[in-house]
Amino acid sequence: MTAESTSAENVQRISMFKVLNPFHVWALGVGIVLVGEFMGWNFSVAKGGAYGALIACWVIGLLYSCVAMIDSEVTSTVAAAGGQYTQAKHIIGPLMAFNVGLYLVMAYTMLEAADALIVGDLMTAVAAATGYEGLNPQPFVVLTIAFLAWLNYRGVFMTLTVNFVITLFAFLAIIALFVGSDPLNPGSVLKHSDLLTDLPYGWIGVVAALQFGMWYYLGIEGTCQAAEEVRSAGRAIPLGTIGGILTLLVAATLTWYVSTGLMPWQYLGQATTPLYDAASIIGNPSLQVVLFIGTMFAAIASANGCINDAARAWFSMGRDRYMPTWFGAIHPHYRTPFRAIIFLIPIAVSFAFTGLLDQVITFSILSGLLGYTFMSINMMKFRKMWPLGVIKRGYIHPFHPIPALVLLGLCSVVYFATFLGYGASLLSIMAFYIVASVWFVLRRYQFVKRGDQFTMPWPRPKGY
Amino acid sequence: MSNYIPKIQAKRGQLFDSLFILVLVYVSLYIPLFLESDVKSVEETAQVQSYTWEALGVSAVEQEQWQKLGHDPASAADIINNKFDYTIDPLMLAITALVIIGYFFFVLRVSNKQYREVIHEKFNGANKQPDAEARQ
Amino acid sequence: MIWWDILSYAAWIISGLLLLWILADAISVSREFDEELLVSSREGADELLEQIKEEEGVR
Repeated sequence: MTAESTSAENVQRISMFKVLNPFHVWALGVGIVLVGEFMGWNFSVAKGGAYGALIACWVIGLLYSCVAMIDSEVTSTVAAAGGQYTQAKHIIGPLMAFNVGLYLVMAYTMLEAADALIVGDLMTAVAAATGYEGLNPQPFVVLTIAFLAWLNYRGVFMTLTVNFVITLFAFLAIIALFVGSDPLNPGSVLKHSDLLTDLPYGWIGVVAALQFGMWYYLGIEGTCQAAEEVRSAGRAIPLGTIGGILTLLVAATLTWYVSTGLMPWQYLGQATTPLYDAASIIGNPSLQVVLFIGTMFAAIASANGCINDAARAWFSMGRDRYMPTWFGAIHPHYRTPFRAIIFLIPIAVSFAFTGLLDQVITFSILSGLLGYTFMSINMMKFRKMWPLGVIKRGYIHPFHPIPALVLLGLCSVVYFATFLGYGASLLSIMAFYIVASVWFVLRRYQFVKRGDQFTMPWPRPKGY
Repeated sequence: MSNYIPKIQAKRGQLFDSLFILVLVYVSLYIPLFLESDVKSVEETAQVQSYTWEALGVSAVEQEQWQKLGHDPASAADIINNKFDYTIDPLMLAITALVIIGYFFFVLRVSNKQYREVIHEKFNGANKQPDAEARQ
Repeated sequence: MIWWDILSYAAWIISGLLLLWILADAISVSREFDEELLVSSREGADELLEQIKEEEGVR
């Protein structure tokens, strides 16, 4: 952990601290995602019924298992804070990298805004329960963002250690809910035989449900942006990411199981806090408190991880001059991308206060989806340009190209699912990325040093 | 041959560029509001005046759960009757598919062109990087 | 229910203080340190190279 590393040219350079271990990586990935189990996944029930939501849970679980495998291989080999952005730079090209950088910043900053709004709404709900109606959630939304930005500013070790604690609590809350639902005695608390109906919209409903199935897992690919700050990227990233997806598969299944056993599907499909509602039905006050805190912690952990990753993506783009260089600075004491963190604070707050929560969330999901599409193309090119054995890979995922092809196929289905429910938003968001791309080519790329973009110690790629 | 020497950007330009992307995002967030609404609900032709659990097709067990959640037949009816409309407009589907596929084609092609420049400069350019460490 | 009012004000004030602290620190850092140093970090390459050399030396 040297303060400044000197390279062959004898130039003093600043760098991030390599202090993280696989638990931090797990905390980053699962932390961003777990809030989706506490709310959001249940909109898949509205689209396709309870069974539709279950199919969505597992099909999308398959999509994300492919993501986790692919991501682990490429990230363990490309150890940079920019994550998928850096991968795109090295494997596909600058314009793709610019788009990927934007996918990351937009997906995470918008998710962060939604998370902060959840915290605000939870405070309003508590106030209402104690007799104070109409509490303004804004100060709590702002406090959430301000506090977490400050934590991120002060250092990644503390940020992700805190995340580990609160994410673990949130996961255990789900386990507690499962245990509290008396799962070994079907019918006593859980009433699946009476509540599970046929598919209310048929198979098209199941397809539409896939869009919200993403909520169970969206964000696990965020682990890779810890790569520049882990002690051993080759080990920690795959361990944390794959451990993370396994945690999420368990959490998602338990969530579905308990919720559909307690609530009629029409209610579940529009509930704001399904797991908390489940605890309320069970009627155990301690369980309710645990779930309330779990929901709050999950939202905070998610916002925390999002700030971490969005800032690193923006920082990386600044470092390469895709965005103004000024953002590519690292704090000399805390070793954090401090200017990127600061810049994104008012943006996150403004997203939270648009009142367009639906649009904001859709933009976030879609940006994530575009990123997964990129990942499958990226993986195929990666193996072609640098076949196995040519460079040192930290982890090699099995059955290539099946995961990449499965991922591409599933992404296509989810685009269709999004079209079914949010066609106008889909076109509008594509328009954003198209205009941004044109702008990058015409205006930003002139400031970029060409050869410097390729920073990995690899040989010339095959075919180039 | 010499490497590409990039321009250095003035402060004002940096500021403008930082804000441009943000303005673009906001425009993109607001556009759907001006177009027709995204989620279409099926029109209710027959208004059900009095709501009962039987009229809504709710079984005894479901009824119990609805009540535990604090709903009576009237409030539950609002939720139960709000159904989605899944009719697909084939033209819009085709346009959307073209936009997405076209976007990826465009980005991949331009990226490839830029990428060849990058590789060329990195491996052939004025400051040639030694490949020695990378070979095992 | 004055507690909630107090809590809300406290939230605003604490947020304000945290943000002011961050801004003040960022400005002081930008003044105190050379801009060239602050933006001098390089993507993964240096450390990864050292890591590879280290691991190769062990084998």
